[in-house]
Amino acid sequence: MLDGLKDVVRKSSIHVCLINTGGCNGCDIEVVALLSPRYDLEQYGIYVHNNPREADVLLITGAVTEQWKKNLQRIYAKAPEPKVVVTIGNCPLTGDVFNQEGCSVYAPVSDFIPVDAEIPGCPPRPSEILAAILAVGPDAIAAKGRQKP
Amino acid sequence: MILPIGPIHPALKEPVRLKLKTQGEKVISAEIDYGYVHRGIERVMEGKTWQKAIFLSERVCGICSYIHTQTFAETFEKMAGEKVPLRAQYLRSLTNELDRIQSHFIANSTYFKALEHETLFMYMLHLREPVMDAIELLTGNRVNMGWNVVGGVRMDAKEKHLNSIYQIITHLESEYDKYVQMFDQGPLVGLRSKDVGKMSNEDAIKGRAVGPIGRASGIKHDVREDHHTYQDEFDWKVIWRKEGDNYARTMNRFDEITESIKIIKQVIENIPPGEVRKKIDIPAGYEEWRNEAPRGEVSYYIESNGNLIKNISIRTPSIMNIDVCGKYMLKDVATVADAVATYASVDPCVACTERVVILNEKGEKREFDGLHKVKYLK
Amino acid sequence: MSSVIWYLYEFARKSWAENFAVAKTNPEIVETPERFRDFPQVFPDYCISCGACTAACPAPNAIKLVRSEDTAEEEGKAYPVINNRGCIRCGFCAEVCPTDPKTITCGENHLIREEFTILPADRMFIIDDYLCIRCKKCMKACPVYGAIYEEDNKIVIDQSVCISCGECLKNCPVKGAVKGIYVANVQEQKDIINLTVNTLEEAIEEKRDDISHLSDKEVYKFDLPIDELVERARSILANDDLILDTFQKITDRLKLRIVTWDEDKCKKCRLCVDECPSGAITYDEKEDVIKRDTKKCLRCSTCYQTCPFGVAGYYVSRFLLDPPSLEEGVIHITVKASQLPIGAD
Repeated sequence: MLDGLKDVVRKSSIHVCLINTGGCNGCDIEVVALLSPRYDLEQYGIYVHNNPREADVLLITGAVTEQWKKNLQRIYAKAPEPKVVVTIGNCPLTGDVFNQEGCSVYAPVSDFIPVDAEIPGCPPRPSEILAAILAVGPDAIAAKGRQKP
Repeated sequence: MILPIGPIHPALKEPVRLKLKTQGEKVISAEIDYGYVHRGIERVMEGKTWQKAIFLSERVCGICSYIHTQTFAETFEKMAGEKVPLRAQYLRSLTNELDRIQSHFIANSTYFKALEHETLFMYMLHLREPVMDAIELLTGNRVNMGWNVVGGVRMDAKEKHLNSIYQIITHLESEYDKYVQMFDQGPLVGLRSKDVGKMSNEDAIKGRAVGPIGRASGIKHDVREDHHTYQDEFDWKVIWRKEGDNYARTMNRFDEITESIKIIKQVIENIPPGEVRKKIDIPAGYEEWRNEAPRGEVSYYIESNGNLIKNISIRTPSIMNIDVCGKYMLKDVATVADAVATYASVDPCVACTERVVILNEKGEKREFDGLHKVKYLK
Repeated sequence: MSSVIWYLYEFARKSWAENFAVAKTNPEIVETPERFRDFPQVFPDYCISCGACTAACPAPNAIKLVRSEDTAEEEGKAYPVINNRGCIRCGFCAEVCPTDPKTITCGENHLIREEFTILPADRMFIIDDYLCIRCKKCMKACPVYGAIYEEDNKIVIDQSVCISCGECLKNCPVKGAVKGIYVANVQEQKDIINLTVNTLEEAIEEKRDDISHLSDKEVYKFDLPIDELVERARSILANDDLILDTFQKITDRLKLRIVTWDEDKCKKCRLCVDECPSGAITYDEKEDVIKRDTKKCLRCSTCYQTCPFGVAGYYVSRFLLDPPSLEEGVIHITVKASQLPIGAD
């Protein structure tokens, strides 16, 4: 009963924190475009807050740079349970074009924190991001919430 | 008291650290730390052909990605001493202005978000979406377009594409005025914007402010004045203002959108037929080229050995603009909320800034002085 | 103050209220323009394993050449595999690919010629607007987004997007509303159609004696085995699917009009000679006889309506191929006298 109630609440109100760990900004802009009335992310109960301390979903963009190696883990630790990590774009997956000789990126993100879902594309279209977040977000959070620590 | 903001903070979209020195609610001075998104793009570009490097230059910045590829390609074209076909020049200007419009919309919407004026924030984003559609229609991608190559553009624009872009632009023009009025005459927005974050003309020159930020403080300079296409083909004027506050910067961007719409209409009305791409052989040599990005002047310095890039240096506008913001605007600000709004009003693009660290002969960090050329680090 | 008035004005507008009441996501948010470069598609069959795509790719992790395992018959082929996690969708791999047709396709590209972006198909599907009942079952069944769309209350197939899979034809509840047209072998198809129609007409002409007694309300039925027809059609083009399809279309759509000619009744008044629009009816002065050239005849029934003596007879016949197969099929023919008025102006 209580679990069911929690599920409903968790599914219908998702707070998102956007973390740019060293990308080109394109994916962040597409996430901002998601807030626009055309895509209207908030109609699905998803709020982009950029505050890790109240985040349910961490959206990670960008290949991990030198500064972020420690800080990413710290931010992940600060987010309360249950939490889901979704990566947007190719940078967190493979480092994209930056991951070549002479670079200072340390992709992939999954080396540092556990990743639950990924959205490839450079950058993905807002509709692709929206479809992926809606497909994975609410259910994953509810499922994580049911696990006993 | 030192109030740190960022790198991940509700007020910021990008990782940067603001350290505000406060006295009560008043902000006395500020310090801005970057370095969170340094990826080493220039180092990666070295020893690569332009075909590969142009996609890296596109990913210097995601908001103004287009102008980077154009400047990159034009540097090589200048090195070869050739100009691209006129139709390609027109198409480049068209995409450049579309990109400028969407960038200014997102800059202004971020400013309104910082003011917590959500209505205008939403309206700006809603106006921006058709422009993104136009860009996608023309180039095939929304953000990183992959549209420029050395020697022209990759695809020709068909008549139907130009027609639908014209429709989008005329619709935008008719819609857009009332939102500018909303900002221009709204008393509450005006109260938060006028006389906040003032930067005088002397400070702007001393701090090497560029782009809309410099022009809002009375520096009447736009790099497009020196560009051959804009000089010869289009009728337009440089937008500038004297006030130097948040209001002036935002209005400056609004007025530039109007000017961009004017240029786009001229492009579509007068576009000549012909080829859009020609083969250009790149000689060995060194060349530099400047262009007007949405945020100001972007410069490329490229040394090539004929095939591969030997050395490259990119200077982006945001580094100067964020610098002057920290130094001159965030000085004696009345409230912390105003400080955040002022920071948003300079349209900071942190992904751009993470280029190089300038060292002096002894290996110590040197203060970045924007107008001097960046010397290569041997 | 002015901005508050502005808000009130904005919210009081009718269109705003309407949009607010029935707020829903527009379909345009998932639509991609035709130039949109998605992840590249690879067709390994065409690959010559030159490696141009991997050399041109600006992203380090996007393309890998892989080699399939050797089998007893042939050596394994090397072909590119796109890693979506690394691909930046620039389309350079498609631009440099030297094979013809392209091994890798990616959006619209100035070097990719248009004819190669469409999958090679011998059938083209169109919707007959006259028969279409707008049930939109084809739209639901279509696996390609945007290939079938509605415009001005008409269902249209976009030929540049269609992959000719035939799902629309399978799901169409109306016979003949979606047509699969064979694009290739047009001349051969014409020959088969001519052959079939001529054969049918000959078959009916042979039964002329039976037909000419028909009264207005009677119909005459007989069957035509198609074995010989199939043999001759196969000698023109050995494609059974196409032949069966052509036969079915003919028997479904064809309404063969038969003109019979009873010379005994003719009084040589020559009214029909002047009226005939194609000059098929001529008067031979030497032999004093009216002649009708069946090859020129349009079956327009003008002579039938003109002749005051009933020389020309006019009949309509319909056909059915049942069962629809080349082996067991029989063409059922129904002939019936025309309902047209005689001696009309």
